[in-house]
Amino acid sequence: MSDHNNQPLGFYADNPEWTTPESINEELVARHEAKSKYFKPILLALGVGVILGVIGLILRLVDGVSDTSKWGYTAAVLAFLLTTASAAPMVAIAPRIAKGHWRRIISRPAEMWSAAGLISLLLFIPMLWVLPSLEDGRRSLWFYHPGEVFAYSPHLWMTLSLLGLVILGFALLWISALPDFALLRDRSEAGSKEKKRYTWLARNWTGATGDWIWQKHRLGIVGALYFLMLITVHFLFSVDFLMTLVPAWIDALYPATHAVHALQAGTATMLLTMFILRKFCGYKEIGHDQFWGLGKLMFALSLMWFWFWISSFMVYWYGKRPNEIQVLELFVKGPYLPLFYANFILVFVVPLFTMIWNFLRRSVWGPALISVSVLIGIFFDRIRVYVAAYSVSDQSAEFHGIKTIPPTVYPDVADVFIVIGAITAPILVYMLISRVVPIINIWEQKELLLYKLHKKYHRATVMVLGKPE
Amino acid sequence: MQEYSYASDKEINKSLLKDVLGMPKWWLAAFGSLLLVWLTGMGAYGWELNQGMGVTGVNRPVYWGFYITNFVFWIGISHAGIMVSAILRLTQAEWRRPVTRAAEVLTLFSLIAALTNIAFHVGRPWRLYWIGPYDFSRGLWPNIRSPFVWDPSAVGTYLIGSTLFVFIALIPDLAAARDRSTGLPRKIYAMLSLGFRGTPRQWKLQAVAGILLSALVLPVFVSVHSIVSWDFAVSIGVEGWHSTIFAPYFIIGAIHSGVSAVAMLMAIMVWLWKWDKYITPDHFDAIGRLLIIVATTWFFFFALEWIFALYTLESAEIALREWQIFRNPMGPMFLVFMLTSYFIPVPAWLFKKVRRSPMGMFITTILVNIGMWLERFLIIVPGLQRRSPLEFDWGSYAPSIVEILLVTSTFAFVGMGILLFAKVFPLVPIFDMKEGVRLRDEIQVGRKTVPATIRE
Repeated sequence: MSDHNNQPLGFYADNPEWTTPESINEELVARHEAKSKYFKPILLALGVGVILGVIGLILRLVDGVSDTSKWGYTAAVLAFLLTTASAAPMVAIAPRIAKGHWRRIISRPAEMWSAAGLISLLLFIPMLWVLPSLEDGRRSLWFYHPGEVFAYSPHLWMTLSLLGLVILGFALLWISALPDFALLRDRSEAGSKEKKRYTWLARNWTGATGDWIWQKHRLGIVGALYFLMLITVHFLFSVDFLMTLVPAWIDALYPATHAVHALQAGTATMLLTMFILRKFCGYKEIGHDQFWGLGKLMFALSLMWFWFWISSFMVYWYGKRPNEIQVLELFVKGPYLPLFYANFILVFVVPLFTMIWNFLRRSVWGPALISVSVLIGIFFDRIRVYVAAYSVSDQSAEFHGIKTIPPTVYPDVADVFIVIGAITAPILVYMLISRVVPIINIWEQKELLLYKLHKKYHRATVMVLGKPE
Repeated sequence: MQEYSYASDKEINKSLLKDVLGMPKWWLAAFGSLLLVWLTGMGAYGWELNQGMGVTGVNRPVYWGFYITNFVFWIGISHAGIMVSAILRLTQAEWRRPVTRAAEVLTLFSLIAALTNIAFHVGRPWRLYWIGPYDFSRGLWPNIRSPFVWDPSAVGTYLIGSTLFVFIALIPDLAAARDRSTGLPRKIYAMLSLGFRGTPRQWKLQAVAGILLSALVLPVFVSVHSIVSWDFAVSIGVEGWHSTIFAPYFIIGAIHSGVSAVAMLMAIMVWLWKWDKYITPDHFDAIGRLLIIVATTWFFFFALEWIFALYTLESAEIALREWQIFRNPMGPMFLVFMLTSYFIPVPAWLFKKVRRSPMGMFITTILVNIGMWLERFLIIVPGLQRRSPLEFDWGSYAPSIVEILLVTSTFAFVGMGILLFAKVFPLVPIFDMKEGVRLRDEIQVGRKTVPATIRE
């Protein structure tokens, strides 16, 4: 049996200097309280981006909501947020359920992205007016019959599920951060603003056994519910706010494809976040293990991307029914062909031929660059699909095809502003949240001290990892 | 894993090679019974070859019946080996160790069983070589754009890959058997073990080959069932088949039935070979948890398939779904399929007591495979049975006794194959078990002892 007390080499968490809970507390609390001189200028720049986004949204609203083709880019960027920021917490949830210790240093940065759901929710509000009611005769998941089914069912269910996702995201972040809030409460000066804030946030956390059991259970349950809600959101959004607008588009796999894209883009978001935290924020503990682990996942997900794509494409290509040819014309061969090529190369080809190499996966730069490629590729994909779908004029389900393939819709100033705003706003929220919630999960690092140690094994030094039930 | 087996190398060798070098009492009776069932099936096959396909229940327009259902079912079961072995090996899941080989062997025999169904189905198996470009002078070429041509390539590659996979992992155990046997068996084991002496270089090569094969065989495993699904999905003539979801839906269904089959096999291994020291309740618990996730993912895809069938608003598609649910005999079958593949086993697996019990897992996983067999039947037959526009003939389908005997014989064949393998080679990987013992450790956390694993 390995015993911490008999360790010849000592034991440590992800930083060799973190040998005791006290040293971890000291170091991570100090880092949390430190303020970078770049923080405010970056915040300011992001604020400008958000203001541009608001202006863009106002300009768009002035145009009205009746012409769906004008809202394609807004829908695309909203889908992009749901695909990236909202999916990033899965990087914390899945390895936590699988008891993977390597996730500890990155679980909090991943969970913090759930706060960006707030921006998705705000951006979703105008979409409620853009999407017509079911009375327009388009297809629907809700098998619409006047007087029997609510004509705004898609609006209602999507709102509830997105709201659920945002609430669960905040709940996940709060439950995960509770012990750290309590630590910050106990270490802040009596009567100070911080003391009041963390006392409120930590509730009555004392670190009793009951508190820990409660927290562990809630983390598991809320994490699993977040995953289920994420899938539900992608299912509803990709069907009600996308597929129903194209009467010819019947693809049972697409909602699952949309969700798989989210897992890939969420992983990419986290890889990029990890790179920035390591390179520019001093979190050197985010190391090769994490990049390697997520690099392998990225490789697998890029293969999965191809498999899902070919599964749909093959059936359409072989089927060659009139509606299938039209859908291929609209999304692949037609006005958005360059975007399709870019998407295919950036999301599948580039990760496949880079992440297959162990030395690249183990590096810090390799996975970070690939994540940029994937994020750009997914962004192009969302534009390709959403802008094309929103530009289809006849949405009636009676006609099982697309009468005319609409031409390419290019973004105008309002669209560009909305895209800038929608991308900068979540980053702004993330940075603001980081002032309240420690970026590294302090309690998880201390817990790792209990389960991870190094010992001599014959002539080698090996790591022993405990896996509690 | 909370329950450890701390057997010494000597004990592991002795207990796991006992039935290879000797003969368990029950073995001959079990093998003989299965052989009898298989021979009966082969007799029926002889009758079918002699009399022609008229002795089966397939007719116009239901050209695909029990044989194709059974083909898809066994292809599905064959995914067990890769799912349990390759993926769990790559993810370094410790609980995989005692079950990997049984899963891989199940893959091998179920693939062969799947292929025999094609021989049963084609009517003139002696012309199977038509699948290749055989007749240059007559200008007859197989249509390389057809999934029917891709099928043999994919299944063949998978069979070769899986055989290699089993063989590579078997080498150290063959060497162990060689060193403990005499006479002709010793010579055979010596030949098969390729001079394995356990040098560091040999271990390294064996480990690297195992990992590489794990990674390489995974895309093949995905391609096999995807192509089988495209046999159906690329055709537009049959309602219910032309769906984009078929490839992932078939794969996840295959994993569902395959992993269930492994759990079933684990229970059999505990009962017949008394390997409860190696396959503990913790192993059943782990595979039970995995099955909850797999089954729920499968159910998600199943729901998508149904939702989008209704979403088309096409009357023919909706009529087919009504047929599947409300008409006899499809309706009751659909109910049994739903209950056995999801609504009975998954709630049962939520209880730790069921997950940790070999009997509980055996019963629930048998139910899953009954359900998954019916699922394939319900996909294939109702679509063909329905009258299509411009069709001059339509009819119903009932399997003949020949088909029933042949389908039963495939189950006997797989059982026989596993029994025969276990008689000649160790069914639990000996070297993997020893490695597991070496890599185990424990960490004291407060008053609790937590199981731990050594990692490089």
